[in-house]
Amino acid sequence: MTDTQTQAIRNAATEAERRALSSRLRGVVIGWGPVIGLILLWQLLAVSAGAVFFPPPFQIAETLVDSLFSGDAGTAFLNMDMLSEVGASLARILLGFALGSIGGCILGVLIGLSRQTGDYVNPIIDFLRSIPSTATIPLFIILLGGSDWMRVAFIAWSCSWFVVINTAAGVRSIEPGMLEMARLFRVPRPRQIVRIVLPAAMPQIFAGLRVALTAAVLFSVVSEFYLAVNGIGFQIVQSQRRFHIEEMWMWMVVLAVVAWGLNAILHEIEGHVLRWHKESKQR
Amino acid sequence: MKENVELGTPPTAERERSTDRASATAAPRRRSSRRLWRGVAGALAFGLLLELVTRSGLVSARFLPPFSEIVANVFLLFGREDFLSALGVTLGAWLLAFVITVVIGVSLGVALGLSDLAYRMTRTLIDIIRPLPAIAMIPLILLILGRGLETALVVTVLGSVWPVLFNTIAGVHDVDPLAKQMARVFAYTRPQVLTRVVLPSASPFIAVGIRLSASVALISVVTVELIAGGSGLGAFIGTIGATGNSVALVYAAIVVTGLLGLAINFAMELVQNRVFAWQQRTVEG
Repeated sequence: MTDTQTQAIRNAATEAERRALSSRLRGVVIGWGPVIGLILLWQLLAVSAGAVFFPPPFQIAETLVDSLFSGDAGTAFLNMDMLSEVGASLARILLGFALGSIGGCILGVLIGLSRQTGDYVNPIIDFLRSIPSTATIPLFIILLGGSDWMRVAFIAWSCSWFVVINTAAGVRSIEPGMLEMARLFRVPRPRQIVRIVLPAAMPQIFAGLRVALTAAVLFSVVSEFYLAVNGIGFQIVQSQRRFHIEEMWMWMVVLAVVAWGLNAILHEIEGHVLRWHKESKQR
Repeated sequence: MKENVELGTPPTAERERSTDRASATAAPRRRSSRRLWRGVAGALAFGLLLELVTRSGLVSARFLPPFSEIVANVFLLFGREDFLSALGVTLGAWLLAFVITVVIGVSLGVALGLSDLAYRMTRTLIDIIRPLPAIAMIPLILLILGRGLETALVVTVLGSVWPVLFNTIAGVHDVDPLAKQMARVFAYTRPQVLTRVVLPSASPFIAVGIRLSASVALISVVTVELIAGGSGLGAFIGTIGATGNSVALVYAAIVVTGLLGLAINFAMELVQNRVFAWQQRTVEG
């Protein structure tokens, strides 16, 4: 191969690379442009109109940074009070989500595996999940008082239904031949469930988990609005009562960050767990 | 239209097929009636279990009143004027919010789904907004609009518009471009392409989104009522829960709220089956 040829190939390669990069760059600009544009528009309108209820976003950001770093040197200037409020909400969300997902998975597998069980139980489940779950908060308070267990149980109950439905659908869609084969080879039932049923239903289970996580964030906020002594939702209500609009927005932003963060983590986990699924689909 | 005529089978073949179909549907019908009986049996057994659990003293009646008492309280509730008005308020707010949600979601979704640039420009924005709970804005909206229908409407539309919006965008965006071009070749105007090609082919997606939005909207309306107080089922349950002297009444009110949710789901399914019967037929055929 002559030098000019190699040069040409190299040029073509860098050209293609450059084009791919510029198209990706354009994608980022097209995607994020409107987001930044909207924030700037909000800023402009809020500053010029002096909107009381919609303070300028930069001011909200400033409030957030100021109060987050208002701690002393011992804690790297982080405001520990603020972090403990976030921690309280986070613990409720995660615990409620975990309990609800595990319970939902178990129930979903039971219903999905046997058509007969499903026939008997489905109407009850359809009814229970039709209840707008926030309507049950007063009942959870009667049953468990004002404790954190009340909130965790409420979150678990509320977000479990999304997992139940998706798990059952996933389990039901398993190729019957696969289970028959396992029975033929005398694979014990628990092993069948762990090695065949759950992996096969995993894509659907994750679809349910995604909805359930968003729901867990939502329901934790509602439970903190209704009755709590700490947490992000409680802080939002407190700022409202004191008419501290900026602080209220700050806590809403904190909530948004928590919601995004949890979603991103679940997305990451899903990518790992379902790698085989994506690869098999590509083939 | 022409296609149908050409594809239509001769009468004899049609008759043969219909007898075939009759024998083929007998089994599913038997199966669906068996499912119905099993469902009824399951529900009765569940009720009996709840009754026994309390009657035997396993669970204190302070936490779980006997099932029969809950059922009796459901009937009692329908005789109470304040409850009926709460039910009406919730249903009215839900209906209004639902209609606004569908109108906004579908029209915005069609607009965003039709243009490729708009689709790409809004995808990131929507991904950012989607996981945020609109319910977190209740305290803010309460400050601005006060306790009442407007607050419920704003929060509910903000929270429940997403499923319709996504599904409409996805459905409209996924329409076969060839079908659109074909319609253009046959001299359809742009609005005609929209109503005769794009919307029919996107409608199954849209219908699923509408159903999801309907249930999200009910949750949202009840939540606003619960947090804000005032009127509606959420506020009613909150009040009787706080007085704490009749647990059975709280259970009964929750049961009625569940029935309302069930009725809404059922109505959505009914409408969907009616409107999209053609779709199921094409799937079968």
